Amino acid sequence: MTTATILLVEDNSKDEALTLRALKKAGITNEVIVTRDGAEALDYLFCTGAFADREPSALPTVALVDLNLPKISGHEVVRRIRADSRTRLLPVVILTSSNEDEDRTKGYIAGANSYVRKPVEFGAFAGAVQQLGLYWLVLNERVPPVTGNRTGTGTASSHEARSSDTNV
Amino acid sequence: MHPNIESADTDGALADAHEHSTAILDILDDFAARATGLDATQRAVMNILDDFDVERRKVEVVNEELRGQIVERIRVEETLRSASIAAEAAGARIDAAQRAVLNILDDATTETLRLNDTQRAILNILDDDEGERQQFASTQKAILNILDDSADEKSQSKDLQLAALNILDDVEIERQKVEYMNGELREQIVERTRVEEALRRASAATEAANRELEAFSYSVAHDLRAPLRSIDGFSQALLEDCAEQLPQEGVTYLGFVRESAQHMAQLIDDLLSMSRVARSEFNRSTVNLAAVARHVVTRLMRDHPDRSVELIIPQEIMVAGDARLLELALENLLGNAWKFTRKRTPAHIEFGEMPDGLPTVYFVRDNGAGFNMAFAGKLFAVFQRLHTVTEFEGTGIGLANVERIIHRHGGRIWAEGEVDRGATFYFTLEEAA
Repeated sequence: MTTATILLVEDNSKDEALTLRALKKAGITNEVIVTRDGAEALDYLFCTGAFADREPSALPTVALVDLNLPKISGHEVVRRIRADSRTRLLPVVILTSSNEDEDRTKGYIAGANSYVRKPVEFGAFAGAVQQLGLYWLVLNERVPPVTGNRTGTGTASSHEARSSDTNV
Repeated sequence: MHPNIESADTDGALADAHEHSTAILDILDDFAARATGLDATQRAVMNILDDFDVERRKVEVVNEELRGQIVERIRVEETLRSASIAAEAAGARIDAAQRAVLNILDDATTETLRLNDTQRAILNILDDDEGERQQFASTQKAILNILDDSADEKSQSKDLQLAALNILDDVEIERQKVEYMNGELREQIVERTRVEEALRRASAATEAANRELEAFSYSVAHDLRAPLRSIDGFSQALLEDCAEQLPQEGVTYLGFVRESAQHMAQLIDDLLSMSRVARSEFNRSTVNLAAVARHVVTRLMRDHPDRSVELIIPQEIMVAGDARLLELALENLLGNAWKFTRKRTPAHIEFGEMPDGLPTVYFVRDNGAGFNMAFAGKLFAVFQRLHTVTEFEGTGIGLANVERIIHRHGGRIWAEGEVDRGATFYFTLEEAA
């Protein structure tokens, strides 16, 4: 695997722009696939709907999932990721404004690997995004690929929802 | 034996004897005839006596029934006394039983009247036969004795009737008591139902309010912060990306925009924390408050490595309380002490407990900016501050939160201070004895 990608599930376009800006400032140039609601995120991961012809084996390296999402909530997205054999090992980080105990507990019960609150102050926000990117894309060792099931690697970029366009 | 008697004398004697015997026979016949008439009268009287006996037995049966009814009455009365909840039904039963008893008493009166009629019939028969009456005076007396007995029976029956009526009076009194108790019970039930309904409505309203508060808090936590992040983030982006096009004033103003956004975010966080203090569950356990204080101070030192503060915290202060809430309280109190000693060298902060006092008094003392005691009343009010934000940052929520936490423990909090000579915050964690 050479192309490490990030799946960002974020309905707020400004938060999206700030996240992409923070990644760029941190020097993280990996491709970021952005989906705007829970249903679109699941379509992308399971190659359904608008992503029916996407190469299924090309999973993102990490998914950053907001909680308060249209159509399907962040918690539910995490649950469905864990429930499917294709995605159950995918690293999932909940990235949210909420610091409610209940949201955190539900997030971990759903199977999130990490729960990060978005700070308001941009310096702190950029710092959090930078640490996330470095940790999950560089420091963390990925699950070994299943042999014989990785034929389409590298073609994923032609099917993505929206490539990172970090001109913020 | 052959007595020597003359025949003429014998014949005369025989005729005399015959005449005598005929007269005797006539008398005997007459007597027999009278006896036969007497027998018939006697039989008639016996029949009447038999009838009378039957009537008396009927009266006895009725009396027995009456006694049974009275026993039943007493039993019903007992039931009434013990079962006041079913008193309405019992009351209805009493009415029915009362009616039954009165019916029986009516029947008994009817029997008594019939008895009188029989008596009169006997007397008529006796009147019809005046001669017989004299001859059979003894019989009549016997009959009258029997009738006396019957009169006794009648008066006994009257006594029983009176006793039954007395019992019915008592039952009536008991029934009135029961009715009074029922009335009181009904009033209590109505009142209780009213209170329960009010409680139910209040609790439903509280639940609804809590649900609304939850939703509101969640919305504040999640939705209000996102725009602030944009305001701060894009102000920063402007400062970074368009710095050359911005005059110095623009840079200063953008700085204000960012400061305000951050301050508002802090306000939101503190308000949320306050709402959490109010609605969180209270989990009492044994807490080492000194260990909590050291933990809080360690974090402060980590966040402000430039500060040098002399700390006094004992090894162990064991209290009973909610560990999480107490940590939040100490975070605020020690955080304040940390903040307001910023301009002091050396800065002193002490956490401890007073040597005596019931309940135990704990304190957080510093040698910082202090405050004017004239404004001590404002210390714990929400959004009230004794310093400007430029002097010492803050939202005016921290101490209000601490007070809530202390109150939730049943304790109280107060402060002493002097401008520029530091402040001491005292608190207890249980109600005064």
